[in-house]
Amino acid sequence: MAEDIQAKLEKYRTAPFDARFPNQNQTRNCWSNYLDYHRCQKALDAKGVDTAPCDWYKRVYKSLCPISWIQKWDDQREEGTFPGKI
Amino acid sequence: MAHQAHAYHMVDPSPWPLTGAVAALLVTSGTAIWFHFNSTILMTLGTMLLLLTMYQWWRDIIREGTFQGHHTPPVQKGLRYGMILFITSEVFFFLGFFWAFYHSSLAPTPDLGGCWPPAGITTLDPFEVPLLNTAVLLASGVTVTWAHHSIMEGDRKPAIQSLALTILLGFYFTFLQGLEYFEAPFTIADGVYGSTFFVATGFHGLHVIIGSTFLAVCLLRQIQYHFTSEHHFGFEAAAWYWHFVDVVWLFLYISIYWWGS
Repeated sequence: MAEDIQAKLEKYRTAPFDARFPNQNQTRNCWSNYLDYHRCQKALDAKGVDTAPCDWYKRVYKSLCPISWIQKWDDQREEGTFPGKI
Repeated sequence: MAHQAHAYHMVDPSPWPLTGAVAALLVTSGTAIWFHFNSTILMTLGTMLLLLTMYQWWRDIIREGTFQGHHTPPVQKGLRYGMILFITSEVFFFLGFFWAFYHSSLAPTPDLGGCWPPAGITTLDPFEVPLLNTAVLLASGVTVTWAHHSIMEGDRKPAIQSLALTILLGFYFTFLQGLEYFEAPFTIADGVYGSTFFVATGFHGLHVIIGSTFLAVCLLRQIQYHFTSEHHFGFEAAAWYWHFVDVVWLFLYISIYWWGS
């Protein structure tokens, strides 16, 4: 399992087609992966397990999201005003 | 020929359309002046003129119809079409605000937390005062129908009582909504939730006040023997408007208060 993730991460070029977000507006795709990365981090950290699998979500949201959004959300998480549920 | 050879009403020249237009100009520009230069004189003047115009114009219509006999069947038919078209235009007015609500609530943006109600908003419990308000308006729909039947049957006292009760229920709704507005844990400035909630329910509340006023005028007219069992279109128009206000509330309740919580 972990080797698969590493293999996938090594082969990564850009965010693949996600049938959950088939249309032109990819906002939800970016948002969903941003949330999933941080939820994954939080959950695996709590279990004391290696958080490497979470990096897939990070790669995807880094590919999709505008940098200003990532910065804004990171700042909001810092000051505790992030509106999403992590 | 000293009299007309048709059943229509050729209205005598009247200054009220002009004063109404001037009032509209003063109210709108006065509001802009208030926003930018902190002076309410123009807006206040315009509002006074608007109220005077409405009072005198509708007073004249009552004189023409009730006392001078100008509201023949074809004329009344035209008035009916007019009221229906006006209410239809109001339906479209509210449709816009419902569109805005559904636009924002069906696909909530990341700024809201991707959810509806948005993160941080504590909504009102739909099964508390809002449900009572629903019951109040539905009951008022029953009492206004009771009033209508009383008028048609020529029952003067029940007509007055049921019409008065309808108006009291209308006031009760307005009072309860006022309390809700005061106690609400969110304001109009609280993002798109606050905006859609208060603009939609606010305009509805304004229409409840307008409808109550219309019904109150009908009550005064009923007391003064203006209505006959065959001819009471002013009352019918008020009743149609009141039902419209009730239906708008039902949509508001289902969409914003219930589904939107």
